[in-house]
Order: sequence, then structure tokens, then C-alpha cells
Amino acid sequence: MQVAKGNKKIWLPWIMILPVILIRGITTVYPVFMTFINSFRNLNVIQGGKGEFVGWQNYARMLSDDNIATSLGFTLIFTLVSMFFHIILGIALALILNMKFKGKKFLRTIVLIPWAMPMIVAGRAARWGFNGQYGFINDLIGRFVNNFHYDWLIDVDTARIAVIIVDLWKDIPYFAILVLAALQYISGDIYEAAKIDGANTVRAFFSITLPNIAKTILSISIFFTMWRVTNFELVYAMTSGGPHDGTAVLAYKILIEAFNNLNLGYASAIAVVLFVIMLILSGLNLMATRKYQNK
Amino acid sequence: MKTRKKIAFKIFQWLITIFVALIILIPIYWIFISSIKPNEDLFTIPIEWIPKHFTLKSYKTLIHQVGIVQQIICTLIITIPTLLVSTIICVLAAFAFERYSSPKLSVAYGLIVFSALIPAIVTARPLYDFFKKLDLIDTYPGLVLLYTSSLIPFSILILRNYLSGIPVDIEEAAEIDGAGLWQKIFYVIIPLLKPAIATICIINFINCLNEFFIPLFFSQKISVLTVGISTLPRANAYDVPWDLLSAMGCVILLPIIIFIMIFEEKIMDGIMAGGVKS
Repeated sequence: MQVAKGNKKIWLPWIMILPVILIRGITTVYPVFMTFINSFRNLNVIQGGKGEFVGWQNYARMLSDDNIATSLGFTLIFTLVSMFFHIILGIALALILNMKFKGKKFLRTIVLIPWAMPMIVAGRAARWGFNGQYGFINDLIGRFVNNFHYDWLIDVDTARIAVIIVDLWKDIPYFAILVLAALQYISGDIYEAAKIDGANTVRAFFSITLPNIAKTILSISIFFTMWRVTNFELVYAMTSGGPHDGTAVLAYKILIEAFNNLNLGYASAIAVVLFVIMLILSGLNLMATRKYQNK
Repeated sequence: MKTRKKIAFKIFQWLITIFVALIILIPIYWIFISSIKPNEDLFTIPIEWIPKHFTLKSYKTLIHQVGIVQQIICTLIITIPTLLVSTIICVLAAFAFERYSSPKLSVAYGLIVFSALIPAIVTARPLYDFFKKLDLIDTYPGLVLLYTSSLIPFSILILRNYLSGIPVDIEEAAEIDGAGLWQKIFYVIIPLLKPAIATICIINFINCLNEFFIPLFFSQKISVLTVGISTLPRANAYDVPWDLLSAMGCVILLPIIIFIMIFEEKIMDGIMAGGVKS
């Protein structure tokens, strides 16, 4: 690999990566470090906190904070339910995208739209779309079910369902495209061979397709899980965490504590918890890919 | 019998295509028709799916009262330098990571890619305070720096993957011809990397338009489109200014949809290249 054999300038590559390292360092490493430190300080500006160190107090408070429990609960439900449908519908959509027919280009263009549009646009539109009186969701359902009327965003349970639906609408295409990449690596010969052996389409899917894309699905599922855990934009745009904090995911909670309630120490403690969850998930990802590589 | 099965399958393919397309397009279509309906037609039950009346009033309000032109300009003033800066520094870095190898460089590379997983919400507040000290809040350089940072991991990943497929022979030949490092990068590497550079520029452009978190927290006066749509004037906290919102949604969506139609294949390749390796 050594191209620059002649000139043994070891510092040369470092100069080339210096700008990138500096920018990422300033914007990620340093602030994460500060968040860790702040999580042990009293920075509650409104109640006169002056930044003195208070040990684990911020963390202790989380344990007795009912809002955090609700938040964590919904973050978990949101992530699990959303991922379940991501995997099933994502694989289905990937298979559809992989079909060879005249509509391929059309379909592939269409599925890029949800991926490419800003979450804030989707979320704000959804806030109105799920409106009980004027939203298009009730209008469409009402055409099939007589006298259908539901105030989606007023009840906690249905607001949660609505948030998950929008999340699925926006992100399943992205998931499917990544699965499609894996599908394209499976050579057509295997299917031909299976056909000769008399395997039908369903069997071919379970004995050829699925094992071949399993590794990719596992890996991207973990990434998508991470995004679900840290996502707040959808909730910010669509429900503002409501009703009754029912859709306030953990990341949204941090936002409110840090920028609205100005309780930076507490916000940092929640952020550290979120960060640790992310670390565990990336560890899992690393382990999973290693295990598959060894096989 | 066989042809019959084939025809049935063709019909099935098209039915499912139409089904998927409808799920994605109905909301978009609904946003569009809402943006051109007069105000009183927005609140009809049931919804008029084919508008009877047509007006551009919402768009005029966006231009004259909301200042959408200014927001478009702001978005571009941030996006264009961001694309330039991020592409240049990422090409350099990807080159260094791919063509020089040492354990320390591998660690640095791993850290940069991993840093993409750090949630913005974890870094937001300390970063805000730090930028405030440096007077970078609400400035274009500050925003460009943050936008650039957010694009770095993905860009390096794509560029490095692509570069690993280009044989070093070409560079060695250039070296024998007496080309220095910088000449090599400008006259050999960059032309070879063109397809990958195009891919990251297209995807990064969309990402820049989508960026919401950074402009929301790190600027007040400089207002980009995504923040503009979230702060449209409304009567009360529960009100949705749907007339303006739908029109603004269309202003944001139109360039994105045109972009996708032109670059569908490039975007697909880019997403897939980024996903498989990560």
C-alpha cells in the first residue's frame, strides 16, 4: 500500500487528515467530554446552580423522575415496534425493488422521496394529516369505514401509533434500499440451481435469500435502532412530545431540559445515559459482524 | 399455461408498484393540493381531492411576509461552501487513509467513522456554549463548520471505498513521470475520483437541505428553510398554519423531487455503498 516509499514522511498523511480530525474533534469529542463532566455538576440556572460538583445527584434524580420512566418506556416501545415493522416491511419492499420489470426505475425514484425529504416537513404535515377533523388520514379511512372519526394526536396511545406510522413511512424506503444492496450481491446462479432442484419461490426465499442477507439486516437493524433511540426531530415536529408527555422520547427530553428548562447538569446526565446505550449498541454491532465474519 | 402465469405475475408486479407508489405519493399530493387551495377550501369535510378553486395566495404570503427568498439564499450560502470545504478535506483525508497505512491511522479512521454515531443531542449544549465563547453562534462560518462536520464520516467512507478500487499503478506511473504529491492529487486522484465525488456531493446536498438540528440551535437570525417551516406564524400553540405550511413544504420538496428524478441511480449507488461497508 505504501505509495510514498521514497519519501519517508510519516507526518504527511497526518497533515492531510488534520482538518478532518480537528473538525470532528471540536464538534464531537470535546462536547461529549464536557457532557460527561457537566453531568456531575449542578447547572440548574433557574434554581441558582453555580456549577459546583454534586456527584451522582443528577443521576439519582433520574431514578425518581416519573417523566424519565415514561420517556424511557416510550423510547423502548417506539424503537421495538418501529424496528419490527422496519425489518418485515423493509425486506418486502427490498424484494419489490429488486424485481426486474419496466416499472423498476419509476419505483426506485418514488421510494427515494420519503428518504430525501426533511423530517420537519414530514412531521409538520403529519401533525395536520392526523388531525381529527381536517386531516387526510381520517378522510381516507372514512371512505372505507362509515362514520370513522378519530382524534389521533389527542390520545396517548393513538398519538404513539401515529408517530410510529410516520417514522415507518419516512424510513422504511431507506432500510429497503440498504437491504437491496445485499440482495444484489446474491448471484442468480444459486436461484437457477435451486429451481432445477425443484425449490419453489417461497422455499428459495427462506433457504437462499434470507441467509444471504441476514448479516446485512442484522447490521443495519442495529444502526436503525440507534437512530430510533436518538431521534427527536419527528417528535419535535409532530407532537411536541405530547399529549401528556406520552410521545416525549428520551432525546426530546434532553432537548427540553437543556434548552427550555435550562437544567444543563440534569440534561447532561440523561445524555450520558443515552450515550452509554449507544455504546452498548455499537458494541453489539461490532460483535455481531465479527461473529459472522468468523463463520 | 406458462404465459398465463407470466401475465398474472406481471399484473401482480404492477399492482404492488401502484400500491407502494400510492402510499408514498398520496401524502405528497395532499400537501400539494392544499398549497394551491383557497383558505376556505382547506377546511372542507370530506377533503376535495381534486381542487375546485385555485390560488397562489399562500406562496405570495411566503414571499412577502415570511421572507422565504431570504431563507432560500441563507440555505444556499451555507450549503455551497459546506459542499466545497467538505469535499476538499475529505478527498485529502480519504487519500491519506487509503494510501498510507499505519496502526495509528487505522485508529484515527475508526474513530472518525464511529464518531458519526454520537447523537447530536449529546453534544449540542456544550458545543453551543463553546461556539458562544468563540462568537460563532449565528454566523455563516460557524454554521458551515458544523454542517461540514456532519458530512465528514459518510464522505470519507464513500471516497475511501471508491479509492480502494483504483489501482495504485496509475499514481506510481505519475510519480515516475516526476509528479509531486499535490500534482498527483489534483491531476490523477481527483479526476479518477470524479464519480465518487459526484455521489457524495449529491447526497450531501440533500443532507444539507434536510439539516434541521444545527440551524435550529446554532443560529437565530440566519434562518434556513427547514427552520423557517417550523417557525411559521400561527395563532396559538395548537394551531397549524396549514395554508403556509403546505406551500412551504412544496417549495422545499420541489427541488428535492427534481433532484431525485435526475440523479436516481447515483443516489441509490451512494446509499448502498455507504450502507454495505458500514
